[in-house]
Amino acid sequence: MADEQKRWIRSLANLGWPLLLGFAVFFILTTATFSLRRSRAEARQPIEFNHRLHVEEAGISCSDCHEFYDSEAFSGMPTAETCALCHEEVVGESPNEARLVRLLESGAPLEWRPLFRQPAHVFYSHRRHVGVAGLECEVCHGSIGASERPPRKVDSLLMQDCLDCHLEGDAATDCTACHR
Amino acid sequence: MARWGMVIDLDRCTGCQACVVACQVENNVPPTGADQAELGRSISWLRLAVREGGEHGGQHHAHLMPIPCMHCDNPPCTRVCPVSATQSDAEGLVGQIYPRCIGCRYCTTACPYTVRRFNWRRPEFPEPMEKGLSPDVAIRPEGVVEKCSFCHHRLQIARDRARSEGRPLAEGDYVPACVETCPAGAMYFGDLEDHNSEVWRASRSPRAFKLLEELGTEPKVTYLSKGEWGGKV
Repeated sequence: MADEQKRWIRSLANLGWPLLLGFAVFFILTTATFSLRRSRAEARQPIEFNHRLHVEEAGISCSDCHEFYDSEAFSGMPTAETCALCHEEVVGESPNEARLVRLLESGAPLEWRPLFRQPAHVFYSHRRHVGVAGLECEVCHGSIGASERPPRKVDSLLMQDCLDCHLEGDAATDCTACHR
Repeated sequence: MARWGMVIDLDRCTGCQACVVACQVENNVPPTGADQAELGRSISWLRLAVREGGEHGGQHHAHLMPIPCMHCDNPPCTRVCPVSATQSDAEGLVGQIYPRCIGCRYCTTACPYTVRRFNWRRPEFPEPMEKGLSPDVAIRPEGVVEKCSFCHHRLQIARDRARSEGRPLAEGDYVPACVETCPAGAMYFGDLEDHNSEVWRASRSPRAFKLLEELGTEPKVTYLSKGEWGGKV
């Protein structure tokens, strides 16, 4: 009886390490999934803006709405006044446009959510990249100009993406060129 | 390639500390509060050193000297950093890369001018100061070292502006906040390689001396004084 008990206890003790390991793996996996989800935060826009319609069919250029895209650090987002230049009244049939017109009538500012976010110590300048170096928007923003609805997730560009370009061209690779 | 340098004319300096305040505002330098200051943990990138001058003719004298980072050509701080968080760039500016700094403070010890400051706490900006923060400079987190950058961000902004206007960077396009502010006109800044620049002429003055030059740090800040300053702080 006593021997059987001892054997049983020993077998439990042998189970201890694999169990602990199992818990550790579970813990790491769950935290990793959570942090991944956090880095791709949701970005709900006030309306589902159709870039393709505006750029390809209405023939509007990027700078009409992103006013400072080649002259300031921040490219700028369209204000209610900018949208109202064309959309004071409903001109199409899209429910999105009807929503925009209602929004404009309410007088509330349009709160666009940023889709590309940098950490606070990264300093990116649209003027430097677009105005001076002549980069196309697509290089960083992909095919957003041809999309029919905005992406739902915030994108974080990685330093490696920047460096790939900087090393290829004759761009600065000093730390302080971007971090300050 | 430019080599940025500064000249401070101590004979013109009135000790008003406008440069100190301009620097704090320009670079989001946090006020640490009286309790931290008492522990010697206050932060300023540019400080006004005071040396007692004794009594002359019934008047109390003091010698004043603004001390920014010297941006040495042979910086002792960059050599001791174990993680390369501080480096000289191609134009001789000694930069500090905050996200890389591990807060060991070797550099603060190595710097003979004691211009490096450690963030003992997470910076807090009391209302309404937070509304006046500069968007061009990061707010440093707790546990990293910071120091004068010669307002490096101003160089980048000035260079972008010049490029987008299709012209080379001209003298006076890039000037740090302290130099721009100095009401006595006691500070000069510019390219030390440009022999037509005011800063080059001033740095060749017979009144010129450099702080602790004998250490071989080759500082890029030159002082002008008729008095006996000779590197004593």
